[in-house]
Amino acid sequence: MADNKESKPLLTGYMMSTQLLEVDGCNRCQECMKWCPTFAVRPDRPGITPMYKNARWRELMAKSHSLRAKFFGAKPLNDDEMKVFTEDTYSCTTCGVCGTVCEAGIKTVELWEAMRPNLVARGDGPVGKQSFFPKLVKADRNPYQAKQEDRLCWVPKDIKVQESGDIVYFAGCTAAYRQQALGVATVRILDYLGVPFAMLGKDEWCCASAMVRTGQREVMAEHAVHNVDALKDAGAKNVLFACAGCLRNAAIDWPLWYEGYIPYETMPLSVYLRDRIRKGDVDYKIPLNYSVTYHDPCHNGRHLMHLKGKDWAYEASRDCIKSIPGVKFRDMVRNRALQRCCGAGGGVKAGIPDLALDCAKMRVKDGEEVGAEIIASTCPFCRRNIMDGRNDAKSSIKVLDVVELMAASMGLDMTIPENPYTKFQEQDVLVCGPAECKLDTVERKEPGKDLLPEAH
Amino acid sequence: MAFYTLGLTFELVIILTVIVLAVWIYGIYFNFKKWGLGSTGYHDPLRRSFWLFLATWIHEAFKDGIWVFLRTVVLDVLLLRRTLARSPVRWIMHMSMFYGFLALAALSGLGLMLDIVEHFNLAGYAHEAEIVKEMMALPFDIFGYLLLFGATIAISRRILIKFVRDNTSAYDALLIGAVFLITITGFYAEWMRGNSFLVGNMFEYPIYAPHFALIHTLLALGLFAFILPWSKYIHVIATPMTLIANRGGE
Repeated sequence: MADNKESKPLLTGYMMSTQLLEVDGCNRCQECMKWCPTFAVRPDRPGITPMYKNARWRELMAKSHSLRAKFFGAKPLNDDEMKVFTEDTYSCTTCGVCGTVCEAGIKTVELWEAMRPNLVARGDGPVGKQSFFPKLVKADRNPYQAKQEDRLCWVPKDIKVQESGDIVYFAGCTAAYRQQALGVATVRILDYLGVPFAMLGKDEWCCASAMVRTGQREVMAEHAVHNVDALKDAGAKNVLFACAGCLRNAAIDWPLWYEGYIPYETMPLSVYLRDRIRKGDVDYKIPLNYSVTYHDPCHNGRHLMHLKGKDWAYEASRDCIKSIPGVKFRDMVRNRALQRCCGAGGGVKAGIPDLALDCAKMRVKDGEEVGAEIIASTCPFCRRNIMDGRNDAKSSIKVLDVVELMAASMGLDMTIPENPYTKFQEQDVLVCGPAECKLDTVERKEPGKDLLPEAH
Repeated sequence: MAFYTLGLTFELVIILTVIVLAVWIYGIYFNFKKWGLGSTGYHDPLRRSFWLFLATWIHEAFKDGIWVFLRTVVLDVLLLRRTLARSPVRWIMHMSMFYGFLALAALSGLGLMLDIVEHFNLAGYAHEAEIVKEMMALPFDIFGYLLLFGATIAISRRILIKFVRDNTSAYDALLIGAVFLITITGFYAEWMRGNSFLVGNMFEYPIYAPHFALIHTLLALGLFAFILPWSKYIHVIATPMTLIANRGGE
């Protein structure tokens, strides 16, 4: 164990003073350990749990800021100790279940996301491939090294996308370049419902979620301000999101970086669709005779419920699924606010992929336990990671987006127009005939040159 | 019966109390200053200030208005709503320890004030002060048993439940052990005086009662002033402050 006498002290600048209070507020009740999805698959590493991370932050901070340090001088930080602490801090998917069960009411997601930039500023973080995020996003405005001009290359020619309007669909990078079936299903449904909607096209930049989650905030300001301005310029009053990651960032993070007035409402697509279902506007044609369960994405669920309420966060998607004829819906044991994270969040998929995969396998097992044939979700990252877990576990379960289930049952044409990114598509799909839909998987035709995994 | 023993006098106790309070207050100031090393808002500049920590905390606590603040104080701090939602057993344990500890601390403070009134016969109320002190014996016993009940559950959980035991650190053991020891020595001192609540004269041994009372007092003051603000036990202060600052949590 090497003490580096030249080492910088632990930095605290990105933490609010009330967050430093929170670290001391942990009363070590151990509740977080029972729910932590990463500790569940790494039981030999209690250091990754919130209780231990708080304790270690206290110890590391005490080296420079304790009574002993005041009288006898600060102790240098041990390099090995910092390495372990950094790995532990980044082995967190920022799913927030610890905050939900915390007796001390610690806002854990915000706390971990405030610890990480301090580690980045000190030179300890990020981990693994996470350091590619800012470079890629700054260069291409998306993490897939794709052309901004191709943002709408997947939109079927017969769909009318406006340049401006009250309703704007913010597709996100993954639906635009890697999971285009989701994008096609979304625009098909909006078109079917007669919704005049706009998209930002090349003016849609990455939401920068991965940067905030991994403590690399420097690109965030530019992207938040650009996207908000672009949405304002498009005249948006209601922005629809079919990506939970983009939604969380647009609803929670962008306003922290944008100084002006934000005139639009951010809304999960499932909420909008549920309203139209209730109005009787949705006409299903083909029953989906499958057993379906719903995986609550953390970003759309626990992260959003404080802002938009539990109905938007948890019930809207379920209501959409239940409205589909033929579907046998069953919730997994861990659902809604106590759901188990898929493992992809917080940059874990890019930083520590084996950990993300093990978490995903746990979630697949959760789905199998309730006899589900389909795990539906509203997050492309969850979908990708659960599919990876499913493949690794050799499970027959399929993973689809709620919007795709609806579009299939509505009998809409979900053919993806040929485009430069068709070869990179890999996803479970529903192939529908006039009377029934069958589950299938589209294999990737060409290995992507992605520096970062699809669900980062 | 003599209360002060082993050379301890009333004046010495007062001096000791002042020292303990001074150390405790400095400890709290020290922690507030440490928390002030953070910023006052998301990507705001650092201020490194005791006062700005307080200002930030007050700002956060009242962010959603006075009613949310009051609701948080009642439901989350005083009734431990979040603990109840997770585990009724732990809620009973925490409530017993929390209210037992708070009531005993308040009664001890009141007892000291009455001692001062009695000693100096302030405003001629020495006799009344003595009567009130005698009346305080029963609440002392009741809240003492409450604290003992909670501490017993805490220790039992740490011993009997494997998951809890495996993740119990020396710090946890020391804190719960100290609370248990302080409570037990307090009871033993009381029982030795005889004619005690619930146990009668079973443990009566009045000669050594003051010695046990002294041990109890020193342990309690030591924990209060020399350990609580300087260790992770600061959570006793920090947890309620966190709950209030976060308006009851997520």
